[in-house]
Amino acid sequence: MDFKSYELDTSIYDEMFLPDGTPREHAQTLHDTLCQIPTEEIEHTQEQVSRSFLNEGISFIVYGDDEADERIIPIDSVPRIVSAEDWKHIETGLTQRLTTLNLLLEDIYNDARIIKDGVVPEDVIKECPQYRTQMQGFSAPQGKWVGICGTDIVRTNDGFRVLEDNLRVPSGVSYMIANRKAIKASMRRLYRSSRVEEVEHYGNLLLNTLQELAPTHAQSPPSIALLTPGTYNSAFYEHMFLAREIGAELVEGRDLIVKDDFVYVRTTTGLERIDVIYRRVDDEFIDPTVFLPDSMLGVPGLINAFREGNVTLVNAPGTGVADDKSVYAYVPDMTRYYLNEEPILSNVETYLCRRPEDLEYTLDNLDKLVVKRVGESGGYGMLVGPHSTPEEREDYAKEIRSDPADFISQPTLALSRAPCFIDGQFEPRHVDLRPFVLQGKSTRIVPGAFCRVALRRGSLVVNSSQGGGGKDLWVLKE
Amino acid sequence: MSRYLERVHHLSRVLQLQTEALVDRPIREIHFGWIRIYRSVNRIPPAGDIELIHDDDFTLADSYTLADDLTFESSNPDSLLSCFAMARENARQMRQCISAEMWTTLNLSHLRMRNLRIEDIWASSPETFYAQTSTEINTFIGVSGISMYRDQGWRFMQLGRFIERAQLLASLLLNQLQISQTIGDDNEADWTSLLRIYHAFDAYDSRYSVEVHPDQVLNLLATDPLLPNSLSNALGNVEDELALLPQGPDSQARDSAQHLAKSLNSLINDEWADTEDKYALLLSINQQCRELHYLVSNTYFEYSLDQS
Repeated sequence: MDFKSYELDTSIYDEMFLPDGTPREHAQTLHDTLCQIPTEEIEHTQEQVSRSFLNEGISFIVYGDDEADERIIPIDSVPRIVSAEDWKHIETGLTQRLTTLNLLLEDIYNDARIIKDGVVPEDVIKECPQYRTQMQGFSAPQGKWVGICGTDIVRTNDGFRVLEDNLRVPSGVSYMIANRKAIKASMRRLYRSSRVEEVEHYGNLLLNTLQELAPTHAQSPPSIALLTPGTYNSAFYEHMFLAREIGAELVEGRDLIVKDDFVYVRTTTGLERIDVIYRRVDDEFIDPTVFLPDSMLGVPGLINAFREGNVTLVNAPGTGVADDKSVYAYVPDMTRYYLNEEPILSNVETYLCRRPEDLEYTLDNLDKLVVKRVGESGGYGMLVGPHSTPEEREDYAKEIRSDPADFISQPTLALSRAPCFIDGQFEPRHVDLRPFVLQGKSTRIVPGAFCRVALRRGSLVVNSSQGGGGKDLWVLKE
Repeated sequence: MSRYLERVHHLSRVLQLQTEALVDRPIREIHFGWIRIYRSVNRIPPAGDIELIHDDDFTLADSYTLADDLTFESSNPDSLLSCFAMARENARQMRQCISAEMWTTLNLSHLRMRNLRIEDIWASSPETFYAQTSTEINTFIGVSGISMYRDQGWRFMQLGRFIERAQLLASLLLNQLQISQTIGDDNEADWTSLLRIYHAFDAYDSRYSVEVHPDQVLNLLATDPLLPNSLSNALGNVEDELALLPQGPDSQARDSAQHLAKSLNSLINDEWADTEDKYALLLSINQQCRELHYLVSNTYFEYSLDQS
């Protein structure tokens, strides 16, 4: 196979090639090896990888009009390479960022100094739908409201930028590990010769983090449960996978009960106490006595048990305010405010339509911008200006005008591209990466990420629910 | 999960024998076989009653419809496809409790079956398809045996399998008796096919003779503890597995379950030989197996929180 038909666009950063078409130094081994492999063998590898996902039932559920459809995520077999130096930069940047966000959460639910000092406007925080008044006055164990974070990062010609922080129930880590397992099995020689950092110990790191966040008077070792909304949740495979990795009970709300502000799980021998809950249920559903009263997914009394310090919820309810798309714009200022440091990872320039001047700019430049609803995720409800029709922009403008605070806009980024094996040849596709950051007493990051790919030619949308796929990401050893 | 898989195993064996019969057995025997299957799974055939019409083409066409109903009909909760789907869904829910190898084995079988239709299997050799399905369940049981940790999950899996086996066998035997009595014909071939369904022909041959007598077949399948698919063997295993389970939150409930298991064994080991009305005894076993299932479920899973 060769890269003769590979369309290199010099205006976009390519993960494998320099603008002059020669391979980047750290991608040389991968490039040379791919050139030596016959097309049929790569086709076979691709087939093997997809089959392994199908056979192992590594799936997610898409809800349509009629019924739920269980699908496997399309996986591209060509790994994306990240140099040790680049990874070091990402790692320090992520540690700094999550430290900042945890300080923010501890602050805004208590003294709110950052608001009083005028760094972040009060309405941006307090009017955010994810701000939970029920958590006011609460102090998280070790000050860590967020123990597990999945940060979406893109690379442009100007370097790495954070696109989004996922601080509620970030998913995708099981795909990172499953991708690695499948690629390792089908590209054995290449993997061995490439000196790649391992990712399979994520479960150990997660377990250590959850144990560190256990209440002070927890059992030894602390008992841990993973709370899932149930088998119909789109990420159920991941819940099961992680419960298995950390040796935790996989439970639904109906399996748990709160008695005297302690949480117990129903087992075949009776009730057993739980110290830490890695919850994959959204805030609104987690405790019907505090949030949505008709929630069937939660556990009555859970928030009280948490507030009393008898159980730790990871992540804590109320963290969603810190990954709100409006609050996001202030993260660089927060870093300066709390840490007195310059942000290591930059944000994407963001216009908040709640500000009149930003609203005007957004409406005047809809054809050039990406506009998002602050409360949406997964690629839903957004307008990609350059790919939209005048009619779509007109309709969207009406929606923005009706509730400007619900929208933000960002310049359309030239997301970096990486080679993918598509229709028997290598073609460039836009990619991002979601590394997972764990923060207990210390910060732990596995050197790897769930790399998302916009598989449709020209598309910038990498979400799996919107036609995106995944590929393995190899962080090279120093 | 294990109850659904036992059902798949049972039904695929029954259908394997039934489709084999289509090749060379008399129409009366085929007709008897279909009625026995439908009554034992407590289902009404798609067109109501199964008619006895002495015409090869009709019998084959009818068999095609009936086999489709029992194999691929998604609205039939007891079809092979439905049972496989339910077993896989159960396994998906408790994937962290079973081994990865068990999941993959089950998932592969599910994927294979999901992509098939009756016309695919009927065109060549339906009996091969049913034999393969049965073999896949045997493979799953083997894979479970070598890869699953012998914790409570294993015990509950075994318990479910043996309760289901006893219930299905009792149901098939009592329907065999009932239909034979109704039509007033104890055909040797109908009893021979029962032996073959349960891999019991060689055991029968060595214990009795090559001549098949209904009462001996019934005795062997009900009371021989050495026959792996007998009622006696299944119920003995039920009692053993229950004894190995933990106390549970309510010791009285657990005692009731153990008591019921003992009483089921006593029906076979002590009362069978002296009981004239085997039909009533089998009916009682069938009902008590169902009762035991609910008792175990309420003791260990659905218990009231006040008990704990």
